[in-house]
Amino acid sequence: MSLLAVRGVSKRFHAVQALARVDLDFRAGEIHAILGENGAGKSTLMHVLDGVLRPDDGTILVDGQAVSFASPRDARAAGIGMVHQHFTLVEALTVAENLALSLPGQSRWRFDATAAAAAATELASRIGLDLSPPDALVRDLPVGARQRLEILKALAAAGRVLILDEPTAVLTPQEVGQLFAMLRELRTQNRLVIFITHKLREVKAVADRVTIMRRGCVIDTLAVRDVTENQMAELMVGEVMPTHTRAAPAPTPGEAGLAVAHLHAHDARGLPALVDVSFVVHAGEILGVAGVDGNGQRELFEVLVGLLPPDRGSVAVGGHALTGFTPSAAHAAGIGHIPPDRHREGLALSMTVAENFLLSRTTLDRFSRRGLLQWGAARRFARELAQQYAISYAGLDTPVRSLSGGNQQRVIVARELADQPRVLVTVNPTRGLDVHAARAVADAIVNVARRGCAVVLISTDLDEVLDLSDRITVLSRGRLSAPLTPPIDPERLGLLMAGAGSV
Amino acid sequence: MIRRLAIRLLPSCLALLGALLVSAAIIVVSGHNPWLAFSAVVQGAFGSLDSVSEVAVKSCPLLLTGLAIAVSFQAGVWNIGAEGQLLMGALAMAALGTRAATLPAWLDLSVDLVAAAGCGAAWAGIAGQLKRRRNVNEVISTIMLNFIALALISYLVQGPLMEAGGRYPQTDAILPGLWLPRLSPYRVHLGVVVALLMAAALHVLLYHTVAGYEMRAAGANPQAARLAGINVDRRLLLALMLSGGFAGLAGAIEVSAVTRRLYEHFSPGWGFTAIAVGLLGRLSPAGVVVAAFFFGALDTGSNAMQRVAGVSSVLVSIIQATVILFLVTLERVHWLRGTPSSGE
Repeated sequence: MSLLAVRGVSKRFHAVQALARVDLDFRAGEIHAILGENGAGKSTLMHVLDGVLRPDDGTILVDGQAVSFASPRDARAAGIGMVHQHFTLVEALTVAENLALSLPGQSRWRFDATAAAAAATELASRIGLDLSPPDALVRDLPVGARQRLEILKALAAAGRVLILDEPTAVLTPQEVGQLFAMLRELRTQNRLVIFITHKLREVKAVADRVTIMRRGCVIDTLAVRDVTENQMAELMVGEVMPTHTRAAPAPTPGEAGLAVAHLHAHDARGLPALVDVSFVVHAGEILGVAGVDGNGQRELFEVLVGLLPPDRGSVAVGGHALTGFTPSAAHAAGIGHIPPDRHREGLALSMTVAENFLLSRTTLDRFSRRGLLQWGAARRFARELAQQYAISYAGLDTPVRSLSGGNQQRVIVARELADQPRVLVTVNPTRGLDVHAARAVADAIVNVARRGCAVVLISTDLDEVLDLSDRITVLSRGRLSAPLTPPIDPERLGLLMAGAGSV
Repeated sequence: MIRRLAIRLLPSCLALLGALLVSAAIIVVSGHNPWLAFSAVVQGAFGSLDSVSEVAVKSCPLLLTGLAIAVSFQAGVWNIGAEGQLLMGALAMAALGTRAATLPAWLDLSVDLVAAAGCGAAWAGIAGQLKRRRNVNEVISTIMLNFIALALISYLVQGPLMEAGGRYPQTDAILPGLWLPRLSPYRVHLGVVVALLMAAALHVLLYHTVAGYEMRAAGANPQAARLAGINVDRRLLLALMLSGGFAGLAGAIEVSAVTRRLYEHFSPGWGFTAIAVGLLGRLSPAGVVVAAFFFGALDTGSNAMQRVAGVSSVLVSIIQATVILFLVTLERVHWLRGTPSSGE
């Protein structure tokens, strides 16, 4: 009998079917990998198992008994614990204190530091994991040690099932090795380890069985020893049927819109995020940059729009190298952008619709004279754009916050394209939009390319990349693959995305 | 425009209503008649030309410091140091105003007022530079600068700047030529007009200039503003220094028009009440004008309330504090912020 099973589980978020009648069995004493692209439904499924989300339909079985989780607390009581990508440790507290937070049997009023340290050491030796010194502060620990502590925490509270969400994303190769050793140790103790990943190599390295998910469905569950990386990649990406919305892709070679050469950059944690990235986008062309989130997408965007000065390398627009890496320099060079998160960096939500149409250096300068805003002209401009992009809004003076997500995104697109940029850098431009709005945004991007703009489409949505791009490259671990031109071989694309090596 | 203003001011009106209900309850519990108390306040504030003039005089420093709060908070800079900046402005006026005049009096006065505003701006600029260069939280640094300003004035009025007779811890009176004109026989003075002009100027700055737009965008969403090519750091510094300038001007006008000299405990906490004024006025210059006169009227009427209805004038502070508590609570109510109920 399976230790843990799901039967016919479905979950819907507004228009998106995140899980469609999923059936799965997990056994005690196995390491079970869940493989899939971004948006395949892996995380949703795990959140259902962890009690964070309630399924719309279907049941969860533990030891063959139907259970229902109202919260992660219920899941832990049933023996299921989860380690999220973002750790839930209190950095200012010690290792023992952090563990004490999840250990049962704590006094409500008094904290006994010695007892907590003893309990932590006892727990670690019982599970057979190395523990950092109990009195070390968590903020002084390296990432790998924090993750170990996080795993210990989950096992302390739950114990039978450990779910790990992309556990290797933050680790160095050595730490990955230690993690895998730890997971194998847990397997010998007859525990169930479920780990979410999109890296084929890791599945091969540590998992016993693998379940491949795509678009909310379970495609297959296989024994890892019977399957090759190539087969897994093909199952993960599926049938690739580019449904091109473009009539005739007409890049005019020779006219380099954007040329990027030997770009190196570090992320916020100081780790290399972009490694020797070079590419050229011709005027009128859309270059798709596919890849799984966290492989340098954010940093590539930030360098191109001037938020992140690269360590080395150059960016040139129309043959002229950028002199500085600041947002103003990028605007001056004619680089427009559709940022990855419209609320975080695209709009000023508390400001009005009219004011948000001006939120770009170029537009702001266009509608001002000697430091004074020309509101008459600016409002005409806003009204025209709203009409052109079919943006529905109550009034130019209402806060942009009151618009729907699709209309908010259209405000950004309208504003950025009105600048007539020579280069457009977009990240996941249609994420979270309904079909209608997504179509409108995609059409706008294709149109601006036809008018001679060089478009860089960075997206974790493979369908979006395939639909819109003239050429496709894959960003994996900060490295950019050589561009592929249609027809695209799905197996090759899947392998590249899963980091199975360069071309 | 009218509708927009109405929607913007709706939370303030609701908060006011709530505060009046709470204070009415307190008056009832303490065994007095709330109706009598409130009408005494209104009578005390607006009963005669003299009392109306007094309302204007009391409102003036609140209006200017309220503008100081409005400009910095709109830019997302939490200036809690209007009190210290006001004191530095007052200090500049008192120090400059006791020297023999070399210029025509009106010009001398103008120069002194501008210098005082500059002094307040510079005091705020210390916090601004600390924020920009060392990422020091401006809430902490502006509060600390308040203490330094207080201690500095305490030292100066007992030492170097102490009056010639040497009896009290205060400066000499400033020269009569530097007194802001009053509308005799009332105490209301030209500074009130200056304050109103400043409110109008701030309105133009915030809503009709690129610099003002950039400050507001930097406050509303610094990341989006930076990506749009706005130099956020410079705008934050500008907002903080403008804020200090308004506060400094408030102190200088008070010295020039009302007290004519500087002494210890010069300010009854205008720079702090200003936060309440700014929030009640929804951080818009027009709203701040209304809120400042409302607070000025409460202050003026509170003595009458104590006299007529026997309710302690401290009640006014309760009303002021309750208004703010209601306001910050209402800030969290979604339909007042124009958020669609459906969400995303």
